[in-house]
Amino acid sequence: MRFFNFLTMITFEHVSKKFPLGNVALDDVSFQIEDNEFVFLVGPSGAGKTTILKLLLREMPATSGTVLVDDIDVSIKKFGSPVNLRRKIGIVFQDFKILPEKNVFENVALSLQVVGAPTGQIKQEVKSALELVNLSDKSKVFPTQLSAGEIQRVAIARAIIGNRNILLADEPTGNLDPKTAWEIVRIFKKLEGKKTIIIATHNTDIVNSMQKRVIVLKDGKLTKDVRKGGYEL
Amino acid sequence: MNTFLTSIRRTPYQSLAAFLVLFFTLFVSVFLFIGLSFLYGLLGYVESRPQVTVYFQTKTLPEDISKIREQLINSGKVMDVKYISKEDAFNIYKQLNKDNPLLLEMVSADILPPSLEIYAKKPVYLSQIAEFLKKQPGVDEVNFQKDIVDRLLTLTDILRKSTIAFFLFLLFMSTIVLTTTTLFKVALKKDEIELMRLLGATNFYIKKPFIFEGIFFGLSASIVSFLILGGALLYFNPFLKSYLNGIPSLALNLPYYQLQVWPMNPIFLITSFTLSTLFGVGIAIIASLLATQKFLK
Repeated sequence: MRFFNFLTMITFEHVSKKFPLGNVALDDVSFQIEDNEFVFLVGPSGAGKTTILKLLLREMPATSGTVLVDDIDVSIKKFGSPVNLRRKIGIVFQDFKILPEKNVFENVALSLQVVGAPTGQIKQEVKSALELVNLSDKSKVFPTQLSAGEIQRVAIARAIIGNRNILLADEPTGNLDPKTAWEIVRIFKKLEGKKTIIIATHNTDIVNSMQKRVIVLKDGKLTKDVRKGGYEL
Repeated sequence: MNTFLTSIRRTPYQSLAAFLVLFFTLFVSVFLFIGLSFLYGLLGYVESRPQVTVYFQTKTLPEDISKIREQLINSGKVMDVKYISKEDAFNIYKQLNKDNPLLLEMVSADILPPSLEIYAKKPVYLSQIAEFLKKQPGVDEVNFQKDIVDRLLTLTDILRKSTIAFFLFLLFMSTIVLTTTTLFKVALKKDEIELMRLLGATNFYIKKPFIFEGIFFGLSASIVSFLILGGALLYFNPFLKSYLNGIPSLALNLPYYQLQVWPMNPIFLITSFTLSTLFGVGIAIIASLLATQKFLK
């Protein structure tokens, strides 16, 4: 049975992912995420959080089950080019993936350059995104001159510009101290209701205090899915 | 533009290697092209000259010569037979010695032999035609250029085959070296490429800077190699002029076009440059595509 409705942005339906050597990353996982919903994906390391994000980006196909992203079935075997799918998704990584030889503006602009946006639009959207993450005054600064928190804010700015209506964050606070981690969470909070946000994390403090929807994974299985919940390790 | 200039600045040794390999390949290729064009032009020139010339005794009657001419035409082995009468021979003699009045005074049409200039359909018929003519009455001397044509044909054939082999080797070598140097460059940008893929860049968008860089190297190597070869040709032009004295022009017969090789002319130079540029840019693009493809699988 499909869980279709017009508000649904992401659907996982009995999804399993097994690797060739036999280890199971996901085992019969089903859930739905609505448009503009804010969701924490939690669980210990190896629970399957990153696998879910990779399936959404079609970095790899599911072994079985169906994965729908904005009505695109990304689980089919012969998927073709993932270009259009990935243009709907912004992603924030634990290790930032900021290019050291480009300045802040250029790093953020890359997100629009790859989709062929005109220069005027790039300038305007990068400016707005940098204002949102409080880095307007550092647009010409290179990453080596920034703190870890600032670098992660650059990564968020890069992930939110353009028509990317889904924001995936894989352990976005994993490399940050608690104070900086909260600064990052506050930026995500600003985006709530504007984009579908999925944050994979095992930071219990943040999850528990935000009181958002929490999907808990353990050993590849979905063990809990609560609308306004917390999480215990 | 900025992207590939930055790439050249950041990887100067790989860029220099790519440029030098392309330069060497194009320099040798254009040199071979010009050399072979001259050789083919020379072969065409020799083939266009009368291949058998038969001189008759001065007392031979034109009617007898005409009968032999008809027999030759009817044999099916000749393309054309041109009759040179005593008067025609005298006119040619006058033209050749117009600057030497003493020689002109000493000769009259009566002492010059009439002749037939014969163009064979195939070089293999040359000796058969010569043998036939030697048996005819009134024939004084038979000259034919079988040896020259045969030697030139053999030489051209050997050179053509060895040039193709060498050219293929150059093509293979330069593609491998360029692919390897481009692979280094691509490997340095591995993280950026991975990021661009996740952001939704098309494969072409990722390949584009490497392709532009290849085009830049192909074009610059072609320009430099052509400037050096063009300069050398201009420098040796007086020497070639004296060496090829008496040959008004050499042409390369292509399927739908005749390319004049000599005297040196802009069309031949532009054609050489265009072919060299297309070849250089082609190799560079293929190498860029091969190198990037490995990282985009």
